[in-house]
Amino acid sequence: MSQDILALIKENVVQGRINKEDEGMDEGMEGTPAVMELVQQALTDGIDVQKIINEGLTSGMDIVGQKFEEKEYYIPDMLASAEAVGAAMEMLEPHLASSGVEPKGKILIATVKGDLHDIGKNIVSILLRGAGYLVKDLGNDIDDQTIVDAVKEEQPQFLGLSALLTSTMMHMKDIIKSLNDAGIRDNVKVIVGGAPVSEQFANDIGADGFGADGFQAVSIVQSLGS
Amino acid sequence: MGIIRKGLPGGSFKPLSEQDIEKIHNTVLQVIEEIGFQVNSEDARQYFKQTGASIDEANRIVRLPRKTVMDLISKAPSEFTLYGRDEKNDIHLGGSRVYTGTGGTALYIYNPGSKEKRLASLDDLKKIAKLVGGLDNIHLLLLPTYPSELPVNQIDVNRFYAGLNNTSKHIMGGVYTLEGIENVIKMAEMVAGGKEQLRKRPIISMIACCMSPLKLDEHYADMMIAIAKAGIPLVCPAEPLCGATSPITVAGNVLMQTVDSLMGVLLTQIVNPGTPVIFGSVATSTDLRDLKYLAGSVEMGLTNAGSAQMAQFYKLPFYATGGMTDSKALDSQSGYESAITNMLCALAGSNFIHDSAGLMEFAMTVCLEKYVIDNDILGMVMRAVEGIKVTDETLAFDLIKKVGPAGNFVTSKHTRRHMRSEHYEPTVSDRNLREDWDAEGGQVAWERATILVNQIIESSDYSLPEDTKKTILSQIPGIVV
Ligand code: B1M
Repeated sequence: MSQDILALIKENVVQGRINKEDEGMDEGMEGTPAVMELVQQALTDGIDVQKIINEGLTSGMDIVGQKFEEKEYYIPDMLASAEAVGAAMEMLEPHLASSGVEPKGKILIATVKGDLHDIGKNIVSILLRGAGYLVKDLGNDIDDQTIVDAVKEEQPQFLGLSALLTSTMMHMKDIIKSLNDAGIRDNVKVIVGGAPVSEQFANDIGADGFGADGFQAVSIVQSLGS
Repeated sequence: MGIIRKGLPGGSFKPLSEQDIEKIHNTVLQVIEEIGFQVNSEDARQYFKQTGASIDEANRIVRLPRKTVMDLISKAPSEFTLYGRDEKNDIHLGGSRVYTGTGGTALYIYNPGSKEKRLASLDDLKKIAKLVGGLDNIHLLLLPTYPSELPVNQIDVNRFYAGLNNTSKHIMGGVYTLEGIENVIKMAEMVAGGKEQLRKRPIISMIACCMSPLKLDEHYADMMIAIAKAGIPLVCPAEPLCGATSPITVAGNVLMQTVDSLMGVLLTQIVNPGTPVIFGSVATSTDLRDLKYLAGSVEMGLTNAGSAQMAQFYKLPFYATGGMTDSKALDSQSGYESAITNMLCALAGSNFIHDSAGLMEFAMTVCLEKYVIDNDILGMVMRAVEGIKVTDETLAFDLIKKVGPAGNFVTSKHTRRHMRSEHYEPTVSDRNLREDWDAEGGQVAWERATILVNQIIESSDYSLPEDTKKTILSQIPGIVV
């Protein structure tokens, strides 16, 4: 029984279905329970939360990753699966502590002040959620102080900053400086990205990591987190 | 030298049928009426309010009835001229007449003759202005790079000064600050010879973006208002990206581009009815592998051709995007992507094809040699736009009769009379015999282009009159010389 439902969760992650109304990759799946309904069912059935995550969600995402590598899946397929996992993780969050599961970590993400480019940041957010992180997206055109205040309040393990303009990227430097001034720089790892941002720039402004694309963003967060 | 082809009527390529256009148009109006768009500038919302629009203040959503939309569109001029400092460079936008220009705003430039790129500087921008000034098939200069060494409050004045002082072609550019807009207009007035002269013969125009999907940003809407009030021509382009900020389908992308650019057009016509505004498209597709923005896809050409038809339907001058490549080198990919997208835009009758020369790798980098190569692509494209002229003179029955069977046309006057105007003479293409090509060092296209780049930049001696320069430098703060 528990095996069945975990296999179904896994399959539905691969299909990229959040709710039962969703269509999948394969025909005729509309109306059948999807990740949200199945995870709810698994909780009601008392299945171990760690098991739901490992054998249902994560192993589903592993297959999605493989399919992407093999060019069978495109990014919208991957994002659909990542969103399903993200939604499931939000649902599981209140149960993590009582089940003794270490949460993977919280990430605050924003596009800096004066910058309206948010497609890249949104993709990064979805991929991070899909990798099991709790992502709080502050939006775009966010001023330095709001970001620093949010770090104080939310106490995330990571702060992700995105900028696509040379005229806005220096905000990243200013934000890091403000974190320093506020004495909270060491509490949070800062990851930066966006078209004009480079590894070199990230080093120069004292960021902890840089992602050239969404996948690199996830792997750098993973490597900094462990 | 051959003739320069510009402003010729395109429109032979029509990817949309009349029913398609009607259906898109109805959906455009339905989106604006039912869904509405978000207007984040308080001033802009006030302007929309004046038209009797329904405003949802809590969500900053503006919805306009169909009739208001069509009334406002009809206030926008369907034809106007972007002037050059030199009359021969004037651009008469409207109808299906086709012109070309550069585009931006790239961060990087290739080191000439290499695959290495570096941050672009103000000096590079001046060089590009000189180069474009000398390339006949690029009809206006859209300021293509961002001088990386300057702080943002000095960007606008320096970019426009670099353009105005190095070519007599019309200067169009994106703007970054409200103060910058003000100073750039002042500077252009000095060059034009006064406030009124600039309004009569606008030698500059500006770009302020609409945000896809369905959003007018606060800062950009405020800039649109400022530019429209100042009576300077402007473009309100929208950049929907298939699958990211528009539906994945080409039709959905054309729809989104139309609605989104119209948001800007409508605003300018409320602020200052009759403002010369260009309906603009930077629409394109994305890389399905990672949703990257693409600059050289065939779908980009197709979308922009479709949008040209929508512009013609609304009788609004159209700014299309084409001619770029995603390649990192001047290889065959860079040639075919630039050629295909430019060709589709041009044959559809796009009034002004922006980005049509010089841009590579996702619009991030410019390349001097590519301007020269694209100048040739555009020459060929414009020749295709011109089409086939059929008259008694071109059919030449009398001549054929005179030459007769087994004769030839080599020495006929008719040949000499028509050869220069009938055939495009490329500047970079190699048409040498193998022996001659070998003897000249067996150079490939980009190597030949490097030589032309240097020749053109070195031979350019254009600059503003000394006294105009003096006035500008003494009155406009922040210009670096
Ligand atoms: C936290 O850790 C991380 C880690 C990795 C991170 C990360 C954070 N953030 C991103 N990543 C990385 O992972 C993502 C996923 O793989 C990647 O994100 P990307 O964002 O790179 O990739 C996305 C998936 C797809 N890419 C994009 O979405 C950006 C594409 C390009 C073409 C682009 C777009 C689409 C837009 N633009 Co603009 N735009 C350009 C861009 C050129 C380019 N090729 O990048 C660029 C950045 N824009 C530019 C310009 C000039 C402008 N734009 C403007 C406006 C816009 C639109 C609104 C029309 C639109 C944005 C729509 C939106 N909702 O985001 C204006 C500025 C608006 C503003 N204040 O922000 C305006 C100023 C234009 C004007 N004249 O008004 C240029 C910048 C030049 C410069 N010197 O800074 C530009 C390079 C294009 C060009 N050549 O002109 C990685 O970078």
